[in-house]
Amino acid sequence: MRDFLKFFIILFFGMQIQHAAAIETIEILGGKANQIPIAVTPFDEQTLAAQKQPQKINQIIENDLIRSGLFDILNTGGVSSYPRNADEVNYSNWSAIQAQFLILGQVVADTKSNTMEVKWSLVDIYKQNVVLSLVLKGRPSQYRAIAHKISDTVYEKLTGTKGVFHTKIAFVKKKSKDSYALYVSDYDGFNQRAIVKSKKPIISPRWSPNGEKIAYVSFEKEKPVIYIQNLVSGQRILLANFKGNNSAPAWSPDSKKLAIVLTYSANSQIYLINEDGTDIKQLIRTYAINTEPAWAPNGEEIFYVSDRGGSGQIYKINIKTLETKRVTYEGNNNLSPSLSPDGKLLLFISQKDRKYRVALQNLLNNQYLTLTEGPHDESPLFSPNGHMVLFTYKDYGKTSKIGTVSINGLTKTPINVGSETILESTWGPITN
Amino acid sequence: MKKSLLLASLLAALFAGCSTTEVEPMGLNAPFPELESKTADGAGADLSGAQDGAGLDSDELAKLKASDVLKERSVYFDFDSFAIKSEYESVIAAHAQFINEANAKVVLYGNASYEGSHEYNLSLGQKRAVAVKDALVSLGVSDASIETVSFGEEYANQECTASACGQDRRTDISYVGE
Repeated sequence: MRDFLKFFIILFFGMQIQHAAAIETIEILGGKANQIPIAVTPFDEQTLAAQKQPQKINQIIENDLIRSGLFDILNTGGVSSYPRNADEVNYSNWSAIQAQFLILGQVVADTKSNTMEVKWSLVDIYKQNVVLSLVLKGRPSQYRAIAHKISDTVYEKLTGTKGVFHTKIAFVKKKSKDSYALYVSDYDGFNQRAIVKSKKPIISPRWSPNGEKIAYVSFEKEKPVIYIQNLVSGQRILLANFKGNNSAPAWSPDSKKLAIVLTYSANSQIYLINEDGTDIKQLIRTYAINTEPAWAPNGEEIFYVSDRGGSGQIYKINIKTLETKRVTYEGNNNLSPSLSPDGKLLLFISQKDRKYRVALQNLLNNQYLTLTEGPHDESPLFSPNGHMVLFTYKDYGKTSKIGTVSINGLTKTPINVGSETILESTWGPITN
Repeated sequence: MKKSLLLASLLAALFAGCSTTEVEPMGLNAPFPELESKTADGAGADLSGAQDGAGLDSDELAKLKASDVLKERSVYFDFDSFAIKSEYESVIAAHAQFINEANAKVVLYGNASYEGSHEYNLSLGQKRAVAVKDALVSLGVSDASIETVSFGEEYANQECTASACGQDRRTDISYVGE
């Protein structure tokens, strides 16, 4: 825990100044003591036609906030009555359960027009004032989207950082030895939809930063080739089908280029290619393996894995000067690098004692920290706001599943997308 | 203050546009035909290209089937290793001789155990395929007769334990047109 504190104090020192506009100064530290105590009351949903929602609005909001690791969600079971609007708040009731903030609301449904309005408020119990009151309108089919929107609004108001609860993820399901599919869903696993089905493996999905496309590696030609699929038109193009293997697509921050890995007749090497397949050029040429490219948010550096030192370690190269530096030293192998949105944190899989765990390295001081216990964690990627990590882990040592871990290490939460094996996943961007 | 769910409707529009692509390997190459011709060595862009170019006649196929040593198609490696163990030298030598005599083409499929990342294992499998290729080339087989492909961990035994995982660390020798 001490390591955690040191790590995040250094990392987030600048953040408090940057987010002075947020109503509270939130320190993102490793300790539970720094979580924001918040209560979410059940909303009055009496006018909503009896539809089967697996989770009520308050539960969806609670799950969102829990996942981030920044909130302590209080049990509201002992409170005698729930306010439907901010005027009805009995502050002493909520002080008694040590709530700092309270979310409350009601749903007004109009069955004739098939619409619903959610009137909700965020209340500061310490200061005894209403932080905000908003009305969200939508169709009943947008029930979960409305709840996520409330979570996002609260998150941004209280942390100064945009929420990601409205975002999408994509993941590959292996249903059987000859049935694979790439799915898109809400970030919490709801509203799944298959966008590619194949008899052969699909790996390395990567959502473009502009949200329009997903690149992935498919084995449908009996060897790995790279496709880019447009999420709006459903069309896909074959980006790379060169001799040997074609894999590890990584979008540039402007979504115009990709770093990819080709082998021809030798070991994996990193190339740059335009997203329309033109202007391919080799970036790195050594006898060793060079793979798993990941762009820095400034678009100037690419982090990647090479075994040139005898085991897989992370290096970085400046794509203009070609200056190369080794970045990781701890552990036997460090694989699957990716960068936080601010470029300050390196996220990767670290293997020590034959355990593969999600790890972070602070690029400002090179401090190293593991976020998970393994033993078979893989494919870590940041949420688009950098506060959570999506990764795969082996459930009871067998089936590979996806989940999130908050970057303060406090909350690990599965994403339930079914009983099938999940090969890999990717996180779509913030879209508002 | 009222706020419409613009965001939700945008997402709904995005989702409504998502259609499922059932894999059709042949029909989808059209947008980038020039990619196919840009491959190295003048060889086919994928295995189908290599398969067009070579074939074994019936005598050669019979010989391939009859030989005990040529039935050995897998070269196994140690954990995190790419060195060809001495026990496989005779197998590789027999294949090198046959490839040269029959003017055959081979595809070397590298594999890795499931531990570690999918992409790094793809590279490790490739390195194992390249190790066998280099051994064949050192025995006089021409570069153009060999294609190397990695399956990484994708066909590995997901429940292997330390010793059984060794079965996944291998290169398989496959004859084109067999």
